[in-house]
Parts: sequence; structure tokens; C-alpha cells
Amino acid sequence: MTSEISLKDLKELNSRYNIFTSMTAEESVDAEFVFSAKDNLTSKDFETRAGSRILEGYTPGFDATPIRRMRDAGGFLAGKTNMDEFGFGTFSANSAYGIPRNPFDTNRSCGGSSGGAACAAAVLENHVALGVSTGGSISCPASFCGVFGITPTYGRVSRYGLIDYGNSLDKVGILSAKAADLTKYLPIISGKDHRDPTSCVQPDMRRSLRRIRSVAVPKEAIDGISEDVMKSFESALELLRSMSIDVEYVGMPSLKYSIPAYYVIATSEASTNLARYCGMRYGQQEGDLTLKFDDYFSSIRSKYFGDEAKRRILLGTFTRMVGYADRYYNKALQVRQVIIAEYKGIFKTHDAVLTPTMPFVSPRFDDISKMSALQSYKADFLTVPPNISGTPHLSVPCGYSEGMPVGMQFITDHWNEDLLLSMATEWENAFDIRHPEVKL
Amino acid sequence: MDREIVERVAHIAHLDLTEEELERYSKDLSEILEYFQMLDIAPESEEFGFDPVEVADVLRDDIPDMEIPADALLSQMKTYNDFVRGPRIS
Repeated sequence: MTSEISLKDLKELNSRYNIFTSMTAEESVDAEFVFSAKDNLTSKDFETRAGSRILEGYTPGFDATPIRRMRDAGGFLAGKTNMDEFGFGTFSANSAYGIPRNPFDTNRSCGGSSGGAACAAAVLENHVALGVSTGGSISCPASFCGVFGITPTYGRVSRYGLIDYGNSLDKVGILSAKAADLTKYLPIISGKDHRDPTSCVQPDMRRSLRRIRSVAVPKEAIDGISEDVMKSFESALELLRSMSIDVEYVGMPSLKYSIPAYYVIATSEASTNLARYCGMRYGQQEGDLTLKFDDYFSSIRSKYFGDEAKRRILLGTFTRMVGYADRYYNKALQVRQVIIAEYKGIFKTHDAVLTPTMPFVSPRFDDISKMSALQSYKADFLTVPPNISGTPHLSVPCGYSEGMPVGMQFITDHWNEDLLLSMATEWENAFDIRHPEVKL
Repeated sequence: MDREIVERVAHIAHLDLTEEELERYSKDLSEILEYFQMLDIAPESEEFGFDPVEVADVLRDDIPDMEIPADALLSQMKTYNDFVRGPRIS
């Protein structure tokens, strides 16, 4: 990591890693701390495009609540971080503004969709990155870039100013190289906000942090894991046992349904949310207004949405259509309840569920380009279950394979972020975390 | 998903697809929906909800407020005499 950073060096690092889609033109003089925000959080003074060409030129006149709270606490917003278009991806390769590059190996992905956020957390010292997760978009890049990433309970952090992907799934969280940052900044961005009613039912976050004493590892979660990830994960389990934490293997049969249920719900919600991009109110409006409205909307959307956005709009529109909604959307909502019930059953006897975060270390870009859409979706099978359940989760570095970080993910019951925050600190003290070599 | 259905879905979603896109998305979505068939045998739940946690209606005090000035919002749009411009409706 770099030491205290000048604007010139920040620009140099950005050109090397594609961290930001837009960044500050000023030095961070007298700031209490420096932070960045994923580019699907609206912000004054910065263009906000969510990785999409359709939002080119959109400069909101207001800050999203998490950004406003960080600024009110003395934070300096250094820039908006790169991401898959609207959050649609596992590798941040679906951004219209370049692909963020992994600081451990620039031929590999930072993960997605908060790839720029994870990269910023990994290469910039004393930096806090706000990320957003819908199906794993904080845990995955945290794992690939070797940093901590916490995704709080659905509703813990206000979504006001967040550009929607899936309303029942989106959560704002934090990525950082230091566990202490999670403990310090999560309470700052959390709390009730009348602008987002889903944030108004939350209980207060516990200030005295409880310790995780037992974890359950679902057997179904370690099927299909690469050998190198499994080796690191098993070593991590040994270390946890040496920390007087009970580790027990359990069954969680509903996990196998989480990918189809998640992608049905997520794309159904996304396809309705993206209907607002029609070339009239935000971003791109360079269409031919003499066209009939159907043709005008279609012309703008077809030209400026990227490939994966179109695929997910089609999928989500289909799964909500008359004749198909019962089979897909309504069934997926039921499966979500089944998965939540299974988690709740485990939490009666264990403080947390533990799995690897991703089934493999960060892949090379040439391997990613050969993956089909379905293969890419399936790669999320460990991060999707806590996201579809709205349960808080934490990814921590737990090993290294050929120099690339491996991550594991703790999941606790709704509103029990305190257990994750204490684990982050405890794990940081017990495990030898490596940082990427960044020369300036 | 066959090509005709993709075309119909794309029309509903306001997307004009090229021949190449129609072919590609048809293939991709067929593969994805075949995998999703496992939902047919997934267990059902008595519980039903659109959100993963219980969400209650929370109402704020009914006090008129304008946090974002209208001109700031209008500045994002291509307006004509402060009217939002749009395409023909017929």
C-alpha cells in the first residue's frame, strides 16, 4: 500500500488500476479521513453513472444518505469507484468505463460488482470505501483483493440516493484493509432515515460487541470449491479452533436453490427499476424526439444499455410475465423464505455460518471472457445465500494461493453486525494479512 | 427460450435487438432457464414476503418539504421553457 497520498499519485494509481470513474480535482487538505463511494451512490459534485453509458452526464444535486453521513463526520470524498453496469456482474468486467485491475496481479479481476471499491481499499492507505451488495458485490471483490468487506443487514443503511438494482436486495456496506474501519464507520452510515422507510424498522446496533464462539459450515457450501481455496479454508478452520471457536459441519439443503431464486428476484426487480431509463430525465437524452414514444424509448435504451444489462432486463421481464410469474417470481419469493428459515434454524445453536467467499481465486481476464453468462452467475453460489436472506456478512482474507488472496465469509442473524465486527478485529490479530506491493 | 419469445420480451422491455443479439440472448436465456428448472422441485413456504426482513409502513410527519430544488432536477433534463420535453405520444 501507499503512504499518505497526493492528488498526483492518486491519478497515477487510477491510471494503473482503473479504480475511479470520476475523481476529485482537489487535495484532501484538513480532512478527518478520506473515503470513496461506489458510483451507484448519488453525489453532489461528481458525475454518477453506475458504470452505464445511459447515465452519461448525470450529476445529481444531492448526496446519497451514506455519503452525506460520511461527509458530515469529516470525510473527504476522493472519487466514485468503478463497477459493473448497475451492479450486473461478478468481475467488474461489465463497466462502460474500463475494468478495474487487481493490485495483486493486474491481469486478473478485482471481483464485482464493487471492484473499484475493493481496489481502492487494497492500494490506498487509510482509505474507507463504500460498496453496495445485491448478490455478493462486497464480499466477492473483498475476497479477490484481500481486504475486509462487511455487508450489513438489509435495511441497516439507508438506500436513499442508491441507484436501484434490486430493491429487496440492495445493501450499502464498507470495504477496508483495516478491521477497525468497519467498527468505526459502519455505525456512521447506519441508522434510520425517513427517506428510506425500510431503514426505519431497525433495532439499534449494539455498541458492546459480542464475540463469535461457534460457527457452522454447511457441507453443501464446500462442494465445487477449488483445491487451493479449500486448502486455505481448512487452514483457517484450524486457526479458528485454536482461537477457542467451535467449528461444526451442518446440512443446509436449500442452498442449491439460492442461485435460481436470487437471479429471478434480482432480475425481476432490475427490469422494473431500469424502465426509468428512457432518455427523458437522466443522463443520455440525445434521441430523435420526432419519433413515437415507444420508438424513442427503445432507441435510447438499445443504444446505451450494455450487453449484460440487456440480458438481465430480458430475463427479469420474462420471469414476471403472465403465465410465467408463478413458476419463477412467486416461487423464488417462497424459496427465499425457506433459505431464511434454514439460516434461523442454524442460528439457534451457532453464532455464525461460515463458508469460503468465492469458489476460486480471482480469475484472469482471458478466462473470464470465455465464461458463459450462466457460468458467471453460478460463481456467486456462496455470496448469494446471505444476500437473498438479507443477513449481515463479512468477508475476511484467509489465505493465499500463488500470491492471490483467498477469502472466507461469516454470516450472522439479522441485525447481529456486532458479532461480525468483533470477528474482523479478532481475525486481523490472528491471521497474517498480506498487502499488494504498490510502487509509486 | 426461443427466438420468437425473446423478440416478444424485448418489445415489452423497449429493447430493439439486432439479429446477432437475438440469437445470442436466445441461446443464453435458454441455458439459464433450463438451470432455473430446479425451482420446480424446490420446497415451498407458508411464509410470503417481498422483503427479507419485516418492513412496516413508517410515515413521516405530513409537513410540506422540498429538499432538492426543482431547478436542480430540471437541470438534468433537456427542458424547453421549463417544460420537460418528450417524444410524440401518438
